[in-house]
Amino acid sequence: MSELITASPVSPAPSTGNSAESKPPRRRSACGWRNTLIGWSFILPNLVGFIAITLVPVVAAFALSFADWDGYNPPKWIGLKNFQRLLHDNSTLTALRNTVYYAAGHVPLTLLASLGLALLLNRKMRGVAFFRAVAFFPYVTSMVAVAIVWNMLFNPQFGPVNQFLHLLGVSNGPGWTTSTTWAMPAVIITSVWRDMGYYMILFLAGLQAIPKELYEAAEVDGANGWQRFRSVTVPGLRPTTFLVLILLTVQSFKVFDLIFVMTGGGPGQATLVLSQQIYQTGIVNGEYGYASAISVVLFLIVLVVTLTQFWFNARRERS
Amino acid sequence: MNRRKFLALCAATAAAGPLAACGSSSDSSGGDGPVTLTISVWSMATTPEFQALFDAFHKANPNITIKPVDILAADYSTKVKVMLSGGDSTDIITMKNTTDYGQFAGRGQLRDISSLAATGTAAELQGLSAFKQSGGKYYALPYRQDFWVLFYNKKLFDAAKKPYPTNMTWDQYTQLAESLTTGSGANKVYGTYHHTWRSVVQAISAAQTGGNLIGGHYEFLTDQYNTALAIQNAGATLDFGTATTQQTSYQAMLETGKAAMLPMGTWLVGSLLADKKAGKTDIDWSIAPMPQRPDASGVTTFGSPTAFSINRKARNVAAAEKFISFATGPQGAAILAGIGIVPALLNDATRKTYFGLTGMPADATFQKAFAPDKVNLEMPVSDTSSQIDQILTEEHQLVMSKQKSIAAGIAEMDSRVQTEVD
Repeated sequence: MSELITASPVSPAPSTGNSAESKPPRRRSACGWRNTLIGWSFILPNLVGFIAITLVPVVAAFALSFADWDGYNPPKWIGLKNFQRLLHDNSTLTALRNTVYYAAGHVPLTLLASLGLALLLNRKMRGVAFFRAVAFFPYVTSMVAVAIVWNMLFNPQFGPVNQFLHLLGVSNGPGWTTSTTWAMPAVIITSVWRDMGYYMILFLAGLQAIPKELYEAAEVDGANGWQRFRSVTVPGLRPTTFLVLILLTVQSFKVFDLIFVMTGGGPGQATLVLSQQIYQTGIVNGEYGYASAISVVLFLIVLVVTLTQFWFNARRERS
Repeated sequence: MNRRKFLALCAATAAAGPLAACGSSSDSSGGDGPVTLTISVWSMATTPEFQALFDAFHKANPNITIKPVDILAADYSTKVKVMLSGGDSTDIITMKNTTDYGQFAGRGQLRDISSLAATGTAAELQGLSAFKQSGGKYYALPYRQDFWVLFYNKKLFDAAKKPYPTNMTWDQYTQLAESLTTGSGANKVYGTYHHTWRSVVQAISAAQTGGNLIGGHYEFLTDQYNTALAIQNAGATLDFGTATTQQTSYQAMLETGKAAMLPMGTWLVGSLLADKKAGKTDIDWSIAPMPQRPDASGVTTFGSPTAFSINRKARNVAAAEKFISFATGPQGAAILAGIGIVPALLNDATRKTYFGLTGMPADATFQKAFAPDKVNLEMPVSDTSSQIDQILTEEHQLVMSKQKSIAAGIAEMDSRVQTEVD
């Protein structure tokens, strides 16, 4: 579902607006047809896969959200009943709250951490390539390994995290993944650590696209470091920041693997998120219709949030 | 296209995919020609029973070749659900647990094999009643039946100068666990190890009090939670949080001498024999009956049968029936017992084979512990079992990690099962 959104042109570059090419000629020459066919043949492998594996199931999910289906016997049309049930289903509502909680923590923290790393590693210094690789390393590590190792680091009794806190004078460290209060922060910390390297790369690319002259001009005008950051770096990075924000938001709302391995949604339902609730309802309990309804709701939430971000960005671009 | 047709189409496109192979139904009713029988199994490399049964069956029926569909144990349940929904035609579906059986049978994905349940030694099978569905129909026959006992490490008892455990009440067990706990930090040896599964507390409690785990009223769990938390608070078992975050292996806790006792299913016997034979551990172990409530008469424990069933879309029904009769009958039972697995057909002959295995403890308490008076089902069979299991697991985690009091946890189980399950 998110593929639909991420695949759409979120390119930070402004549209070229070349209207000369917008109207195709009425009669195409043989050469024109050939070019079209070659063009199609380039996107065909991806398009076929996208239609068969993503688009068709997504459309089917929309239809199934109005049905009662066990995955085997013919589906029964039940109208809006799945959505009515959703409004009173505490587990799903808990999952929704937890997903929002996760996104609220994961999005800003990853954004700040990756921006900070990018600024730090965007200067000329010895071994910068090494440090960039180090920062990127978590992202290429298997998610399952990350989840298992961090779970051990967070062990309340013997884990290094609490031992470190003890050194700092916190005698009674939090229970982390064994505590309903601290499980979500633990998951958020792990995911920020894992994802910041990837977004750092995006920010680095953005930083390098800012013309050096702007900094020089600012320096000549007597701007200090903070002023240069606020008035040159931040506006210059706005397209990149917007892209990162959209990607992070979508990623946060569909989080599954990390939480599934690290806490399994527990303790209790403290870290149960929507994707896991969908998996549990559909695959495990065999209520595919209801699971589709939850998916549709998740889709709508992501759509609204993303559209809001687009609208916000467009408004700021105008001003 | 009307709405129903459209929905059916959506369902079909969502489910079918490449799995729904074009069906050239070669119904081999006679069984003259060569037949390839497909059977879904989990982690064959570490589950020796499958290969042993398949080899013996092929030897007895040379014209039937068995092709196993091997699935990773942890993914087995999910994978089979998806396979069946996709119209897969694997002939025999192995039922790893009874929770899934309820769903499959309820949806009509399995073939009625009541006729097999009425012939031969089938009536003697332990755990057979778990598979009885409405109308007295059977859609699966059990071939193995594990039940829970108390494993213990003899050396740790000798070191503490304690007699080996026999019949105990839960209070006696708690005291024993506390007195066997020694050392601290990395050298700590726990009196017992309670694994993180909810069954360690809930299933034994339901079996011994007669409580119903899918009934929506869980007051009966109170005593058992008090016992479990008392043992944990006394430090006589690894605490729940650590066991969860470290993904502790119960087998390692016993084999490495980190825990003196371990309530666990009899499937562990086969693993212990294998590990000792391979030189992975030198543990001197035996088993005792599960501790009982003070008012108990006789030994009650819980167990979970494993069964074979026939896919409704199976192509080789006759061969599949033949295999199930073989595997659940005396020949199959003898093969299972011979490799350290408790067959569902547990009689004097199979017990003798089982007890005679090399490395099997020879003491009398072992054999006595192996004949509990009553083995109740771990989880009642129903199409809501899977949903209720999820709720009970979540509340179990909260109670054991002390995020909720026992009373609050049980109240939440009651209200959630009553309102969320339909």
